[in-house]
Amino acid sequence: MKFTYRQDVDTVSEYSSFSAWKSARRGDRLSVIYGLVVVCVVLVSYVLGALKWLPHDPEAMDLDAMMAAPFTGSYLLGTDFMGRDMLTRLILGIQAYFLPGLLAVIISLGLGSLLGVLAGYRGGRAEGGVAYFSNLIDSLPRMVLMLLVIAAFRPDIYTIMLVFGITTAPTIAMLVKSKVLMLKERNFIESAVALGLSPAVIIFKHILWYNCRALLLIQATIGMAEAVLLETSLSYLGFGVQEPTPSWGNMVQAGANYLMQGNFWPSTAPAFAIMLTVLGFHLLGDGLNNIFEWKQSR
Amino acid sequence: MKRFPWKASAKVLSRELAATAALLLGVSLVVFVILYLAPGDPFAALLGGRTLSGAERDAAYEALGIPKTWYGQYLAWVGNVLQGDFGISTRSGQPVAHELISSGGKTLFLTVGSLLVTLGVAIPIAAIAAVRPASRIARSSTLLVYLVSALPTFWLGYMLIYFFTKQLGLFPILSATDENQQLSWLYALLPVVLLGLGNGALSEIVRYLREEISRVMSEEYVRTARAKGASIWRHAYKEALLLPVSQIIAAKMPFVLGGAIIVEQVFNWPGLGRVAWQAAQDRDYPVIMAITLLAAIVVRLGSFFHRTVYVAVNPRASHL
Repeated sequence: MKFTYRQDVDTVSEYSSFSAWKSARRGDRLSVIYGLVVVCVVLVSYVLGALKWLPHDPEAMDLDAMMAAPFTGSYLLGTDFMGRDMLTRLILGIQAYFLPGLLAVIISLGLGSLLGVLAGYRGGRAEGGVAYFSNLIDSLPRMVLMLLVIAAFRPDIYTIMLVFGITTAPTIAMLVKSKVLMLKERNFIESAVALGLSPAVIIFKHILWYNCRALLLIQATIGMAEAVLLETSLSYLGFGVQEPTPSWGNMVQAGANYLMQGNFWPSTAPAFAIMLTVLGFHLLGDGLNNIFEWKQSR
Repeated sequence: MKRFPWKASAKVLSRELAATAALLLGVSLVVFVILYLAPGDPFAALLGGRTLSGAERDAAYEALGIPKTWYGQYLAWVGNVLQGDFGISTRSGQPVAHELISSGGKTLFLTVGSLLVTLGVAIPIAAIAAVRPASRIARSSTLLVYLVSALPTFWLGYMLIYFFTKQLGLFPILSATDENQQLSWLYALLPVVLLGLGNGALSEIVRYLREEISRVMSEEYVRTARAKGASIWRHAYKEALLLPVSQIIAAKMPFVLGGAIIVEQVFNWPGLGRVAWQAAQDRDYPVIMAITLLAAIVVRLGSFFHRTVYVAVNPRASHL
């Protein structure tokens, strides 16, 4: 037997994507477009790196063209201090954070929405427990916790990102919780309860899918930006990806030795890659947030 | 005018203090569990022994009075910590507490200074962006803040060093250990500015402040004040500035402490971040545990500070 409330999806979901996009401010739309371009470039480069379709051998040294400027010969973005092709190493640097970052984002979204629904939907003691857990995690500065975990286990990047995913979960839990509290008062959730739908259907379909998916997507892009920063920072500190495997962090670190002599390029190219990528993920998240989430909360 | 509800506020704050203590206990348990699960035998080192195995270890534990069960070890450790005994650094052989005191002051200087820089940059930009959102200066400064926040701190640090020491010759290569040099306070400016601008949270802070200020500016009591010609600043500063700023200090404390690790690495600044990095490198368990606990205490204190400001500014909160 079919119930009729599904026919008008618009009333059970807060999102009406297309009109929101059309009425968005120009700045927000530009942010989203720039962010999408960055995401596409990262995706394509990741696939190119995974398939080993690279312009040069990442470890082949050209001793005649060390620290070459961009557009020198066949080196589109120049070479680093050992004469290795910069573009190739930048593309391969994406391998260092892409899958681990994705893992972190998935864990933090999964755990965060679980805790958020638990706190918002059940309330009472569950809410107290989630609040305690969030405060506990927030008390530990992320970088310090990472160093502790590194000292204890010498983990690989996937384990580090797993810990990172757990530490970002409370933020998402709080956002989902306030959303659930707001939705619980709405008619369509009350009628779903009155219709006798199972809590699983109400939570996963009506709350999380119909009404939290934009929020979760936005948090995913911001989480990805933070994962890039974390991976590059740890690689810079010497705890992440090690030379000769390229990571944008260890490329900046290695290139910095030549900076005092006025050779900016070896460390600046990866630094700009970090900046453009982080900015892209952040602007994508912010733009989407302004267009789809912020407006409806007023 | 009603008197300030001292008694009720004290009750609220003591409840906050109890919550802080409960959280710190939880943090110590998390730290303990992580190291308990670590390979090797961190606790022998922590409680003053050597790393042994099997029956030999049991005998050594007995002789040293180290409990064998995990909760026994935890309680012994917490007991020691509460007495200010963080154990002996496995690398230097010195008591950890000494090391923390000497490097803690340098990090405190760095973090407090950088918070001032952050607020000094963020408040004017946020205020302009809130009051005149469409002006060119508001837009360009917001964009600049976004760009700076996205730049990796370590690279920005190297660039600052390059331009200020090499090109302009303003500062010698930084080292806070050279105490006898003149103008040594000047050396500290670069890392402070770097941490203030580049801890990654600047754009978030500007956005948060901007939204708070523009929200308060459209409140009715501000409109009333404006209508009767009273000072808007006097009416609005508590809600539009005091509360958000204390909230930022509380919420961004972890970022500042985390950023300090990187900044101290770039500038060779002998603070806690550098000690933590060295400890992670050497698996110096007592040191890294003590630093983690200390960081958590600082974060909780920041949060407690925010609650105090909140209760002081908004006495209604003490009746909740």
